Amino acid sequence: MSVVIDKVFALSTKIIALLVLLIVAWIFTVLLQHSMESINAFGFDFLTETKWAPNLEKFGALPAITGSVISTFLAMLLAVPIAIGVAIFLSEIAHHRLKAPVGVSIELLAAIPSVVYGMWGLFYFVPIIRDLFGGLGIGMLTAGIVLAIMILPFMAAVTRDAMDTTPDILKESAYALGATKWDVVKDIIVPYAKAGIIGSLILALGRAIGETMAVTFVMGNVHKISTDLTAPATSIPVTLANEFTEADTDLYFSSLFELSLILLVISFTIISIAKFYFLRRKRSL
Amino acid sequence: MATIIDVPEEKVLHVNNFEFTYASSETPNIKKLSMPIAKNCVTALIGPSGCGKTTLLRSFNRMHDLYPGNTYEGEVLFEGRNILDAKEDLIQLRTKIGMIFQKPTAFPMSIFDNVAYGLRLQGIKNKSELGDRVEKALKDAAIWNEAKDRLKHDANGLSGGQQQRLCIARAIAVEPEVLLFDEPTSALDPISTQGIEMLVSELKERVSIIIVTHNMQQAARVSDYTGFMYLGELIELGETEELFVTPKEKLTEEYITGKFG
Ligand SMILES: Nc1ncnc2c1ncn2[C@@H]1O[C@H](COP(=O)(O)OP(=O)(O)OP(=O)(O)O)[C@@H](O)[C@H]1O
Ligand SMILES: [Mg+2]
Repeated sequence: MSVVIDKVFALSTKIIALLVLLIVAWIFTVLLQHSMESINAFGFDFLTETKWAPNLEKFGALPAITGSVISTFLAMLLAVPIAIGVAIFLSEIAHHRLKAPVGVSIELLAAIPSVVYGMWGLFYFVPIIRDLFGGLGIGMLTAGIVLAIMILPFMAAVTRDAMDTTPDILKESAYALGATKWDVVKDIIVPYAKAGIIGSLILALGRAIGETMAVTFVMGNVHKISTDLTAPATSIPVTLANEFTEADTDLYFSSLFELSLILLVISFTIISIAKFYFLRRKRSL
Repeated sequence: MATIIDVPEEKVLHVNNFEFTYASSETPNIKKLSMPIAKNCVTALIGPSGCGKTTLLRSFNRMHDLYPGNTYEGEVLFEGRNILDAKEDLIQLRTKIGMIFQKPTAFPMSIFDNVAYGLRLQGIKNKSELGDRVEKALKDAAIWNEAKDRLKHDANGLSGGQQQRLCIARAIAVEPEVLLFDEPTSALDPISTQGIEMLVSELKERVSIIIVTHNMQQAARVSDYTGFMYLGELIELGETEELFVTPKEKLTEEYITGKFG
């Protein structure tokens, strides 16, 4: 009897696992199918063209790609050092009475839906950026900052978790040689948890690059590449969120699909790199 | 009640009415414990599991301070001061009272860097001085021959027994006064165990050693003095041979003859 149950269980989990693969392949196929018209019309020029003019039936993805890359880069630039600092503080430096409450609040922050960050950014950050740097207050800089604030708690929490996997006995061995807390952090914890830390940074990067709701309000949706970080701009998710309802021609529609395909490929690449790190780490343990 | 001899040698540590309580414990885990630790001798601590051997050992380098809420009472005298004092410089203390753990704990770095670690912490940067002292420590820990051609390799590539000797090299490189060993061979094979035991006997020329062990033959082989602990108390401390051949306390006798534990 139990043998039968085992078999049924094994079979059903296998089917579910295959189903997941199937869904991924399905999404990819649908995106590719709907992108075909745009791919046929523009070819590789789609990736390098800077004009996005729906009324002229001319579509280029470069401003959206650049916007995604730069806002994400800005967000990482701001968030990584702070997140690592917070993680170090929480895992080794903080007084034990502070550890739990601060740790929990960070996890709570990580659970706030991104649309809330977006609204908060629009009503509080946009005016601040406007006052500080001039312009509309809407654009790459604001988006980068809001994204940074959004990914920071997640990044800090996962980095702390990675650091906490360092065995106590390894830390104790360093303390037993006369190491200070700072010595232990930089010589033992960071090298030991390096793969996990990098993995968590890349996961956060993946979240930032695909993020839609947090930046839709503060980006501006202007298809223009500007050297001015305070000028309105756009990113792939922002374009998709703003324009799908307006896509009145097949080519417009198809171009948006191609944009989402590009985003999917970028995200997949990032997640694969993260996975690679996590896997390598598991093997080495 | 308890039979605790005085030692004729100079005392490197002197424990007086020492009590220790873990944060989560309501009663003391070590109770009113007094004992001398003789200089340049090996003192073994034996006793059934949970009697407080590790707890006592980790008090001597204030390891318990890494975790909140643990409390010490009484005195542990070292170099004429009570090292349980709140003002004690723990970084300094731990360079003088080193520790070898139950499981080998090679750091995730090269063999050389492992041994040089404590030296670098003390601010020694000079390449040739570092090189000399690392070599000397590796030789003293009887691992030089196996390590000399792979100093730059990751220390985790060494076998368990080699790693434990590496940990000993790392600890003696900073030239401590006292070395604390907590069951250093319990994770090792018989040959490696023998190697570590020989090392302990050689090292006592330069350092005073306290070794916790579950293996009574080991205690008999390596130590000059043996303390028997039971339920957080020191029941008997005596010269090793005497303690094993003619124990003064009934509990000691029952334990070493295998009646419990
Ligand atoms: N971190 C801790 N918090 C609370 N109690 C502890 C802690 N570590 C040990 N104890 C308790 O303190 C007592 C002594 O433990 P200790 O580890 O010193 O025993 P031991 O003699 O080293 O045993 P073993 O031979 O099994 O290693 C035990 O009753 C144990 O349950
Ligand atoms: Mg123990």
